[in-house]
Amino acid sequence: MTPDLLWAPFGEFAFMRRALLGGVALACSAGPLGVFLILRRMSLMGDAIAHGILPGAALAFWLFGLSLPALTAGGLVAGLGMAGAAAWVTRRTGLREDASLAALYPISLASGVLLLGLAGRKLDLLHLLFGSALAVDTATLYGMLGTALFSLAVLALSYRALALDSLDPLFLRSISRFGPLAHAAFLTLVVLNLVIGFQAIGALMVVGLMMLPAAAARFWSRRLLILLPLAALIGAVCVWLGLVLSFYASLPSGPCIVLLAGAFYLFSLVAGPVNGLLRSTPFPITV
Amino acid sequence: MIECHGLQWGAGGRPLTPPVDLQLAAGSLTAVIGSNGSGKSSLLKVIAGLDRPLAGRIDLGVSLLGGVSYLPQQQHVDRQFPIRLAELVSAGFWRSRLGRDERRARLRQTLADWGLLDLQTQGLHALSGGELQRALLARLSLTDAQVLLLDEPEAALDDVGLGLLWRHIERWQREGRTLVLVSHNLAGLSHHHCDGLLIARSGCIKAPIRQFMAERQRLGQVA
Repeated sequence: MTPDLLWAPFGEFAFMRRALLGGVALACSAGPLGVFLILRRMSLMGDAIAHGILPGAALAFWLFGLSLPALTAGGLVAGLGMAGAAAWVTRRTGLREDASLAALYPISLASGVLLLGLAGRKLDLLHLLFGSALAVDTATLYGMLGTALFSLAVLALSYRALALDSLDPLFLRSISRFGPLAHAAFLTLVVLNLVIGFQAIGALMVVGLMMLPAAAARFWSRRLLILLPLAALIGAVCVWLGLVLSFYASLPSGPCIVLLAGAFYLFSLVAGPVNGLLRSTPFPITV
Repeated sequence: MIECHGLQWGAGGRPLTPPVDLQLAAGSLTAVIGSNGSGKSSLLKVIAGLDRPLAGRIDLGVSLLGGVSYLPQQQHVDRQFPIRLAELVSAGFWRSRLGRDERRARLRQTLADWGLLDLQTQGLHALSGGELQRALLARLSLTDAQVLLLDEPEAALDDVGLGLLWRHIERWQREGRTLVLVSHNLAGLSHHHCDGLLIARSGCIKAPIRQFMAERQRLGQVA
């Protein structure tokens, strides 16, 4: 494939340019969030929240139709509500947070499907779950760009607190009261990125764009300050090449992007210099 | 200075001891001793403001944030976290108002003080338990807090590390800081000038550590 072929679809079609710009922006914020999700041992949280978004988005669709602000608000409230409910159940009952999330997200998914049925209008469930990057309109694009910029700004501001809270939470709590605030801001960003992403590449596919580049990056560096931009870069390249693949092979764009990220993850798993399978592994990898 | 009035602490609403009144002067060193599960680490967390007491109040004479520094046990630290030793130690500057150059010089000096200069670019995963413990102590010493709460500071340290630890503890005492540490090493503590605070179900006893050593047989295996 020549360089011309890699760029031609974007030069020729405005919808491809919007998809590329939006997808790259989303990858730039979702990748670093994924790195922190892994470091905070919350890797499955993104998947659970992505399901949790559905009833809110379905309700918004029922009431307001295909309105971007309404879908965003509905998804945001539902996603944050589920994360908050899981944390509350854990605090009140001692049930582990992953277990309370695992219990809540099938409820959310089923409620979402039921609400879509009740709505009586046709919103393709497959579109909601797996999206279509090629349907990114100007409003969605601005939403994605705004979300990415906002996320990166908040991440930069709360970077130290998030890192120390993941590394040594007791020490952070002894010197600062910023830990819980940083955690809440971080969760909000995860939900916001999933919500804005599900409209472009689908609720389930966006989790792949968040977690796969982050997991792959872990096999290439042991430095947080390298892992964060590296995850963004891997995600951005996968968006670009995934869109090209989807264009020429007439395949759905979301799965193309995520499968490319998955292929790079598998390559990293085998060939990555940090505890990759081809290297000896003196330490068990936990992040 | 630490003053506790009618202090009770414990998990699940059940106090571990009767109410405790305690006065620890500035420049003092107090070793909290007691059997497993007696509530030594929990007491430190309550004084550090990490847990709420069940009853009573604590007066530190300084702000909780910035005035108090806490050394957690090693298992609370994620050994696989992708940062270097110098970055871990630098977290001690969290509330510092020093400029960049001053920080750099202070960090270098502190790493040298704890014998960590050669390890500053090592990732946490590559450190031994003793090296990580020295890094955590170096981070603590950068905080400049007046009240230092150390949960098992001797853990994993070899003789060289122990020497560094006690040299620093004596320096911190001379600087007028109040130190409380949790320890299981009663014999080791008896070589130093410090008080002991024995925590038991029947109540707390505070006395010079050598007295505990002398009466160890009568008190039973307390530490």
